[in-house]
Amino acid sequence: MSGQKLSTAEILAQIRGGASAPASQPAAEETSAPEPVAAPVVEDVESTQPSAPKSAPSGTADILASIKSGGGPAAAAKPAAAAPSGTSDILASIKGGGAAKPAGGKAAAPSGTSDILASIKGGGAAKPTAAVKSAPAAKAAVDTSAALGMSAAEMIQAARKGIGKPAAVGDSAETAKKPVALPKKALKPAGKPKPGAKQVARRGFLETCIATICSPIVVAWSSLVAATAVSSLAMARFMMPNVLVEPPTKFKIGPPTDYGGGTVSTKWKAQFGVWIVNSDVDGEQLIYALSTVCTHLGCTPNWLEGEQKFKCPCHGSGFYKSGINFEGPAPRPLERYGIRLAEDGMLEVDKSVKFQRELGQWEVAASYVPV
Amino acid sequence: MNPHPDLTSSVLHGLGWYYLILFTMNLLWTVRSFKVDGEFDKRTPVVGGIPVAAVWAVLSAILLMLSAAHFTGGSDPAKFVIRLPEWFKNPVDAFFADPVVYFAGSVGLFWAMIRFREWWIRESVAWSMLQASLIFMGLSLSDYDFRQIVGKPDNVPIVAMLFIVSFLTWIYFKRAVENDKRIADGRPLVGSDDNDKVLVWPDLVYTELICMVVLTAGLIFWGVALEAPLEEPASSVKTPNPSKAPWYFLGLQEMLVYFDPWLAGVVLPGIILGGLMAIPYIDFNKAGNGYYCFKQRSFAICTFMFGFFPLWIALIVLGTFLRGPNWNFYGIYEVWDVHKVKAANNVNLSEFFWNAPVMSSFFGGLPKGSSVLTILVRESPGIVFIIGYFALLPPILGLTILRKYFVRMGVLRFLVFSNLALWMAILPLKMLLRWTFSLKYIVGIPEWFFNI
Repeated sequence: MSGQKLSTAEILAQIRGGASAPASQPAAEETSAPEPVAAPVVEDVESTQPSAPKSAPSGTADILASIKSGGGPAAAAKPAAAAPSGTSDILASIKGGGAAKPAGGKAAAPSGTSDILASIKGGGAAKPTAAVKSAPAAKAAVDTSAALGMSAAEMIQAARKGIGKPAAVGDSAETAKKPVALPKKALKPAGKPKPGAKQVARRGFLETCIATICSPIVVAWSSLVAATAVSSLAMARFMMPNVLVEPPTKFKIGPPTDYGGGTVSTKWKAQFGVWIVNSDVDGEQLIYALSTVCTHLGCTPNWLEGEQKFKCPCHGSGFYKSGINFEGPAPRPLERYGIRLAEDGMLEVDKSVKFQRELGQWEVAASYVPV
Repeated sequence: MNPHPDLTSSVLHGLGWYYLILFTMNLLWTVRSFKVDGEFDKRTPVVGGIPVAAVWAVLSAILLMLSAAHFTGGSDPAKFVIRLPEWFKNPVDAFFADPVVYFAGSVGLFWAMIRFREWWIRESVAWSMLQASLIFMGLSLSDYDFRQIVGKPDNVPIVAMLFIVSFLTWIYFKRAVENDKRIADGRPLVGSDDNDKVLVWPDLVYTELICMVVLTAGLIFWGVALEAPLEEPASSVKTPNPSKAPWYFLGLQEMLVYFDPWLAGVVLPGIILGGLMAIPYIDFNKAGNGYYCFKQRSFAICTFMFGFFPLWIALIVLGTFLRGPNWNFYGIYEVWDVHKVKAANNVNLSEFFWNAPVMSSFFGGLPKGSSVLTILVRESPGIVFIIGYFALLPPILGLTILRKYFVRMGVLRFLVFSNLALWMAILPLKMLLRWTFSLKYIVGIPEWFFNI
């Protein structure tokens, strides 16, 4: 195996084609099962085989080879230098892997994937009977066409389990008839004694659930979701600052006599963003506070005393002294803020309320102060 | 004393250099012309038999004298005579300050560019136009207000952009016209013989290296020569007057003058981008793939160029050079007077309709009230117009003047295409309506923030 690394595609090809199987496995049956071998499987194998006799497996082929040797004395039976050229081969030796198994096990010559699976079941068993029993089990499995539905991933998972498990040999034939149950079993943590097949099936469900929940992908995604949720909450917290540094929404602007008839005061434009206008509206002399925000796109217009209009420098919107738009693109008049004559005789502007003419709100008494 | 004199000694000095550069350019061109252009036709009166290069030699001599005059005339700039006369400036101002005339002029220029493409792609014609525009700019630079607007660090790249766009357009038309001729003659296309293929190393890499060095040097010169256009710290109280978007957004800013923000800032740009993406699916013309041509794709090219030149480049120029304080129009030699009064009392279509004498006498003017029904009745003329524009025009067009396209495209593609075209046409339509009839909005429902 050393020197020649096989690509995943090659390994797959070898799994499919029995032609390249070594002589110890004549006529490995071609399995018609779809075998989407994926990298994660290989990773699994790697992680569960840290103690493989071959130090530092450097490729899929190596890893498979070390599976073959099973971390046990079986390596002697099949020396690594023998360059096993197929996964079927490898799986076959997994069967015997992890245990010093008599060569008779191999002499039984499992002739197909189903064989292999069957023997995986019995794999790791130190009993010499394993081989004997696995041979008929293999035949049973061959009949069970469902076995062909197993993917290579499942096989390898199953193999992994088989290595670490001191299996109950007596079950092997029976379980071989239910190959569908294999992947479930494979998920089971290794090293647990298995009392009986039926109890295993029941407990297996719970164990599968636990294993699913503990699987890396679930853990990773749940962590991500949790972290995102927590950070979103933290973001939401920013919307409610402890201290809000904003100018007060209510402020006094002096007595009405400060604002002579027919004038527009720009005195509070810088500080509060309002113009105080004292103007004749429909025959009534009113003081009102206009917002300095253009209703088109929010620029700050300028009051042009000469032309008696507010004019926006951005897109040329123009407003009369009353705040009503008459030129440019502004779609609606400037907004009025709340204004009232406070108890101390001062005008008080309330920016927390606004009055829009197009909604008929300029009629509201809170939007102006009669002079 | 005038605080803003048209000419100062430093301006004259600078113009001296400017004309000296023009002289050098034309001197080189004279040499080239002498080698290439040959003589005028013998039968031509007056100039028959004289080398064409003589014209460029005369121009070079004039430019040299201009340069010398500017270098030596700096002692008393007020009495310097080479400047634009008022009788020239005033009509030019009137042309540029009137948006209708300006827009019509840009469309006319666009038409002439396509119509006379075989004439102006000739090298001597193109060179003449370049020199004319450069001399026009040199003379205009003797005007204070023109210098203010063109020499503003923000605007210098726009001037450069005009020349670059013209040059690239010229290159396109030159190749397209050549290929059109070859296609008509059945000859192979330009470049199809692979003769102008070059090696990556050294040809391309050297070219790139030279471009890189020149560009870097240009940027450094630019950075040193022109001050960064920094302004005073931002203030919520003082909006600069005029407030201009970055140059590449000036077309958008111009659209915002005519449309509501959601339309001009969101829908129209979205349609521009979506429409550009839809072009490959709309286009059924397989010709013109991978080579320059005009005739084979004249419709597609004209449509694109209409969107690019009059509706984008011309609007950038409009926004950069012609929009002044309070977003009014100013001519290129006009003082930016903040108090220029241009009454623009804009009126909605609904007001036009309901306040018309006939309607007013029947229905008593504009329907008043804020109920949903009243609003819909008030805006019904505009709503009918918009629905008719987008729903009825496509089938009408498809059955009449665009029948050929309808047949070749099929229903769905034709509807997408015609609606995109109508969206493109609504911008100049609305602009013209605003300028001529002071039309504010076709459908104006400020109560619902819905204005078209």
